[in-house]
Amino acid sequence: MIELKNVTKRYDSLTAVDNVSFSVKTGEYFALLGPNGAGKTTIVKMLLDFTRPTSGSLSLNGILSTHAECRTSIGYLAENHHIPSYLSGWQYLLRCAELLDINRSDAMDQCRRIVELIGMQGREYAKVGTYSKGMIQRFGLGAALMGDPKLLILDEPTAGLDPIGIREIRQLLESLKGQGMTMFLNSHLLSEVEKICDTAAIINRGTLLVKDAIPAIVKDGDTLEDMFVRLVKG
Amino acid sequence: METSKALPPITRIIKYTLIDEVRHKSFVVMFVICAICVFLIRGCYQGNYMVNGHYLDAGTVVRALSKVTFHIIGAGVMVIAALLSMRIFRRDRNEGMQSCVLSKPIARWQYVMGKIIGLWVLSVLFMFILHSIVFLITSINLKVFMPEYLVASLLCSINLLFVVIAVLLLSLLMPDIIAFLCVLGVGIVGFVADGIAAASHSQMAQVMMPPSGASPQSDLTWWKVVYYLWPKLLGAQQMASSLIEGESFHGFGPTYPLINVLLYCLILGALLFKRFRNEDIV
Repeated sequence: MIELKNVTKRYDSLTAVDNVSFSVKTGEYFALLGPNGAGKTTIVKMLLDFTRPTSGSLSLNGILSTHAECRTSIGYLAENHHIPSYLSGWQYLLRCAELLDINRSDAMDQCRRIVELIGMQGREYAKVGTYSKGMIQRFGLGAALMGDPKLLILDEPTAGLDPIGIREIRQLLESLKGQGMTMFLNSHLLSEVEKICDTAAIINRGTLLVKDAIPAIVKDGDTLEDMFVRLVKG
Repeated sequence: METSKALPPITRIIKYTLIDEVRHKSFVVMFVICAICVFLIRGCYQGNYMVNGHYLDAGTVVRALSKVTFHIIGAGVMVIAALLSMRIFRRDRNEGMQSCVLSKPIARWQYVMGKIIGLWVLSVLFMFILHSIVFLITSINLKVFMPEYLVASLLCSINLLFVVIAVLLLSLLMPDIIAFLCVLGVGIVGFVADGIAAASHSQMAQVMMPPSGASPQSDLTWWKVVYYLWPKLLGAQQMASSLIEGESFHGFGPTYPLINVLLYCLILGALLFKRFRNEDIV
């Protein structure tokens, strides 16, 4: 589903991602972990062709990430998601549906279903300017789910949320698990990752430290957090 | 990418660009002020004008004044088009729409194309409506019917395309306000240079200037090359306005300004697509 081959990204003298290679299989719930500035968001941006790698290649569904077609059936939620304040949540979802070439009646049905899924009934017609950060994040997740994507790329989906918001987003992601969707979760909330994901990769200063199934990474009664700290601190 | 698949995303981005711009109060206020200003000048048409002791007939006055109004509206809307274009990428980025659009199976060139066409259509409509107000005033109030006025307005839209593309390109390379000022500067320099050139070719200037020994026509200096290659925004406007009075345009070759501006649009457009292709999306 996702394949990175010897991917390097340099910004002048800074190497944000250094010769990283890994793959994520279809149906896998995968987490990319790392401290702030490790290069996680850069990898996500390269997957979506928001920035180009200095060397190496990334492919989604066997298509190079530089081709727009590879983003068919992909849902994306950005870190600190923004929505134009003059739109309502409903208008935003409709706009996302239109961009995915979903016809009007199907789009309305999907919007209704998604509003229910993200628990925003009754607030969907209010302007985004009146929403809290958590509500914007939920609509962002709703937009990512538009068109029933096969791959969901979430960049810090719980960033800036309160504990209740984090729990709600986690429950929402868990509820999607049985639907055969592949998830690429970029996070540093290890307890959440441990509860949701099957496999994880840990990256630090642009270098891939480990990529394996979570039970294989966590050994001898350690938590993922213990392992993460040990690996990152060297 | 097949044309049938490439077009729908572009039309949607055009639609969103139009809706998002018109939604802004500042746009509506700007449009209403411009429309009121155009309405206010209708009083000028009904005055009695005397030149060399002879009263001018209403038709001559209407055509001459309409031409002046045509140029003022043309230049004014160019400034407005630059103002509309200068923040479009930054705003889309800040509001999350750029990443929203480009995370879908939509190529960057489709996004840029949608933005260019959206802004261009909006500016052309803005100018066309203002020109139509003048057309309606002269047709209904003064019974001087000038359909060529509207044709000239559409012809003049090439200038707006230049402004939109130039500002979009420069806004990727420098702060928005500097991009706006640069394009404004290009326009002003072109207008002033064309004005000087027109004045130097006038009968009065020919009489006042003593003839030099060498043939000035063959004297191709660097500033003349720069002058001929400079974006001919006023030239294109003059060419369009020559339709109003049915006069022949003889500033350059009859279509040179249009070709000049069109070539600039193509070159700057190509640079814009190339630059945006390598742009990091935040």
